[in-house]
Amino acid sequence: MKGAFTYLLLPAIWSSRNRAARRQPGDLTRAFLFGAMGIGVFAALFYAAAWVTWQLNSYEELGDYLLRLGLSWIFMTFLAFLTFSGIVTGLSTFFLSDDLRLLLTAPIASRRLFYARFAKTVAQSSWMVVVFIAPVLLGVGVVRCAPVSFYVTSALTILPFAIIPVAVGTASTLLLVNVFPARRARDLLMLMSFLFVGSVVILLRMLRPEQLMRAESLPDLTGFFSSLQSPLTPLLPSFWAGELVFASLKGGWDLMHAGAIWSTALACCVGLRVADERWHFSGYSRSQEAPKARFAHFRGVDVIARRLPLSPVRKQLFIKDVKIFLRDVTQWSQLLLLLAMVLIYLYNFRVLDLGRIPYMSGFVKNVYALLNLGMAGFVLATVAVRFVFPMVSAEGRAFWLVRKSPLEMRDFLWSKFWIGLIPVLLLAETLTVAANELLDIDPFLKSVAAVAILFLSFALVGLATGLGARYPRFTADNPSDVSGSYGGVAFMVIAVLLVIAIIALVGWPSTTYLYYQLRHRPIPGVRLASMGACFVGAILLTVATWLHGMRSGIRALDAMSN
Amino acid sequence: MIAVEHLVKQYGRFTAVDDISLDVPPGEIHGFLGPNGAGKTTTLRMIAGLLKPTSGRVVVDGHNVALEPEQAKSSLGFIPDRPFIYEKLTAGEFLRFHGGLYGLDGDGVMDRVHEMLDLFELRRVEHELVESFSHGMKQRLVMCAAFLHRPRAVAVDEPMVGLDPRGARLIKDVFRRMSERGVAILMSTHTLEVAQEMCHRLSIILKGKIIAQGTVDEIRQMAGGADDHLTSVFLRLTGGTALQELEEAV
Repeated sequence: MKGAFTYLLLPAIWSSRNRAARRQPGDLTRAFLFGAMGIGVFAALFYAAAWVTWQLNSYEELGDYLLRLGLSWIFMTFLAFLTFSGIVTGLSTFFLSDDLRLLLTAPIASRRLFYARFAKTVAQSSWMVVVFIAPVLLGVGVVRCAPVSFYVTSALTILPFAIIPVAVGTASTLLLVNVFPARRARDLLMLMSFLFVGSVVILLRMLRPEQLMRAESLPDLTGFFSSLQSPLTPLLPSFWAGELVFASLKGGWDLMHAGAIWSTALACCVGLRVADERWHFSGYSRSQEAPKARFAHFRGVDVIARRLPLSPVRKQLFIKDVKIFLRDVTQWSQLLLLLAMVLIYLYNFRVLDLGRIPYMSGFVKNVYALLNLGMAGFVLATVAVRFVFPMVSAEGRAFWLVRKSPLEMRDFLWSKFWIGLIPVLLLAETLTVAANELLDIDPFLKSVAAVAILFLSFALVGLATGLGARYPRFTADNPSDVSGSYGGVAFMVIAVLLVIAIIALVGWPSTTYLYYQLRHRPIPGVRLASMGACFVGAILLTVATWLHGMRSGIRALDAMSN
Repeated sequence: MIAVEHLVKQYGRFTAVDDISLDVPPGEIHGFLGPNGAGKTTTLRMIAGLLKPTSGRVVVDGHNVALEPEQAKSSLGFIPDRPFIYEKLTAGEFLRFHGGLYGLDGDGVMDRVHEMLDLFELRRVEHELVESFSHGMKQRLVMCAAFLHRPRAVAVDEPMVGLDPRGARLIKDVFRRMSERGVAILMSTHTLEVAQEMCHRLSIILKGKIIAQGTVDEIRQMAGGADDHLTSVFLRLTGGTALQELEEAV
């Protein structure tokens, strides 16, 4: 056992066991929430796959053909994802991981270390693919009453299918690290990854897959899938995996593609191991070197800060936070992904063909305005939990600097609030106003939505800042770990409830107003009073959430200082 | 036991370690002194096999670190300045795992783990998670790990940082005992009193080059002050004007 590479995986297993045995407050809640979400996603994917397979059953041979193409297409999508994931994960596990400082000083054969690290890389890169592909294949199998061999073949296909792209990704990392310093390569890779994901999402959206849902467009469907095929496709592991799984679905065996996928996976392992033995140490050694980094000074931030009506302390906090954020590629590059999502969001409203429902279009359009408000609220909550909630934790081990200074915790937290609020408010207002303009909705609803999102922004940013201060994780290496902590999950739960409450409080009076306006009737006095009460209720609820969130955060920071 | 021959490390155009050579025979405690950024940690990391030298070679117990890394590392215990410990393991689990990395197997491992925990006064926290340890306790745990496999040579970077007087005394005693048993110890330190008290020989490094080597007395004579305290000698050799500037600034 001690000579096997699996021995090197023991600390991860023991650590997980110890973590499970010594639960921290909120661990159960988090496990329950994430578990429920996971089961929900699994069920939705299973249902969608089963529904599509059921529909395709009606087309006999064409249905079979489409299912075969569809499987190949799903595997091809995951192939690209796994390659990129392999690049990023390989960089971390092979070069930047802290435990390498311990393992590389021990007398471990490089081959043994390679297999342990590669196993970890494959597991970390592909677990999400397995989570997504398993319910899909299960759905297909159940509807087609597939034999047991289908499930066994699927399991035996996913493993080599994951190994090949991850090996290619890791090999690219090995090459990159030997050319660039590892930390610079990481920044480059993060940027590339987000650009890649953003472009793929935009590209897929521009294909307008909603057109395929129309009954008259079945011929387009075959064209759509066929356009994804190329002369190179049969050479890709995604094609082999699709063929292999499809053959087993029909109760047969496709030994040629099984041989191709397994032999390629093994060849990738051996080839990568040889390359690793030759170049890993030189790459790791380079990753330890810390030459003077080139960085942007962002003097514009100083200029802006000088012009802001802020106290000197708040000015310095503003400069520090903005510069740290801008200099960390892993932080701001996620904004590219967010930008892609926003573009798609607005594009969806642009192509929304509400004119097809002539009598309802006026009313439906205005209901869409409320839906838009809800969506903007959820986007706002997601952005807040990812960027605003970790702001106090991001002080990290340097928080002592703030605590030992004469700066009051109140000032510190309010500074964080304003820094978080301005970009979030701009984003939320742009989303709401632009989408409502594209929908061309009633001016009254436009104003209600714009004001509601303003108050929601204050409430959610205040809540995120306050809870972030109440449940900080100063030792977390990554802001996304902070977002996924107990406090982050609690924030998301409260935020979702708040958004729903605001939609209800704003939605009822708005639709009532529209109801009377469309019928050109005056609103009765009692109803008008109830509508006013709802609007006031929404304002009070958001203001209370905002101020209570901030106060609880300030109290928590004061208690920490004392 | 530890032989460093014409070792060079360059980062681009910057030379961090510039053609240094030193030899630590069995049983010797060799002090490696120098101001911040002089190249001490870089040298020790090359000895431990964490950094690839630009040129030159490191030999531990007769094995070239570059050519026979496994044999060389088997004979070496390395205590870095910023050690990595799995925070979610207990002290006992960490040492058991560490022993396994060095091929320690069977029932004897736990006896040896307990022996080390007793020696470094950590037995009572054997089943506690490392994340709950103080800095000093973590430092002692890393030393337990370094001595667990009975190394023939030890390279240690700043062993006294963050230790209380009792901890520091303990470490000094352990190092002396190990040296009496024939273990070669190369120790980088800023604490000149420790170097003066413990080291048989010293090497002083400045801007990547070794500028003085010998016993404490020999180095005093080199600096031209036979009766001076080591601190004065060190400052004279490495350029002590910074102290004067500091005094003026304060």
